[in-house]
Amino acid sequence: MVDEAAARAQKVISETREQAELIRQEAVASAQGRGEGILREAKEKAEAEARQSDQETEQVLDTFRKLSDERKAVAVGKAVELILNS
Amino acid sequence: MSESLEKLQNRILSDARLKAEGTIREAQAKAQQILEEARQRAQKESEEIISKAKVEAESVRRSILSSKVRVNRLRILEEKNRIVQDIIHNVQNQLSNIARTDQFENTAQRFVAEAVKAVESEQPIVRIGFKDATKKNLDGVSRVLPKGGKLVIDEKPIDDFGGVIATDPEGRVVFNNTFKSRLERLDNHLLTLIASTVFAE
Repeated sequence: MVDEAAARAQKVISETREQAELIRQEAVASAQGRGEGILREAKEKAEAEARQSDQETEQVLDTFRKLSDERKAVAVGKAVELILNS
Repeated sequence: MSESLEKLQNRILSDARLKAEGTIREAQAKAQQILEEARQRAQKESEEIISKAKVEAESVRRSILSSKVRVNRLRILEEKNRIVQDIIHNVQNQLSNIARTDQFENTAQRFVAEAVKAVESEQPIVRIGFKDATKKNLDGVSRVLPKGGKLVIDEKPIDDFGGVIATDPEGRVVFNNTFKSRLERLDNHLLTLIASTVFAE
């Protein structure tokens, strides 16, 4: 009876250890999946922000080109005056 | 005797049962402990994985954005530089062609006067050379030379865009008053002026 109990106890502990390892593995796998999701979201968000930055840069460049067209003659005139008269 | 043996037997059985129950209880308690510890360890490992992933995600985000921001800042700087250089090129062209304008005589005289004053010599040698300048529109220049001064007229523009270079007779003191030299001397001022004229809000 005592030996049987000892064997049962050993079995309980052995099964519990297996169950514990399973719990750990499931938790780690779940965390890894969540981690990959976090990384993917961060990349997608950063790439969206990068595209936004590209669009804003294009707008700035367009503005520069328009300003240049409008003000180039004035800038050249002022610069020539500076070189001639300073 | 038989009764005593039976009592002993019962007692042994009872002790064995108690011991067996105790062993099972201990095993169950230990199993609970193993499970609890496993849950805590799993929780800790999960938190570490998530925490590491968040750090890595922030690093990836920063890397993507900083690289893009750097590239776009460079594009903006290059475009600004292209516009400014285009304007400077136009300025150089206008200065090169100054002999065709009504500003020329006055400008040439002023450049010579400045150069003569800078070399502080009573016998300065003044070289003058502008594109398309004629002897006629350089006539007035002689008037601003001191009596002992010498005027040398170059047929080609001096230093690419034209101008004046004065020296003392020994050639020890030289004052370069060409457009190229003036562009270099006024470089910072020129860039600020162009940028503020074109890009100011």
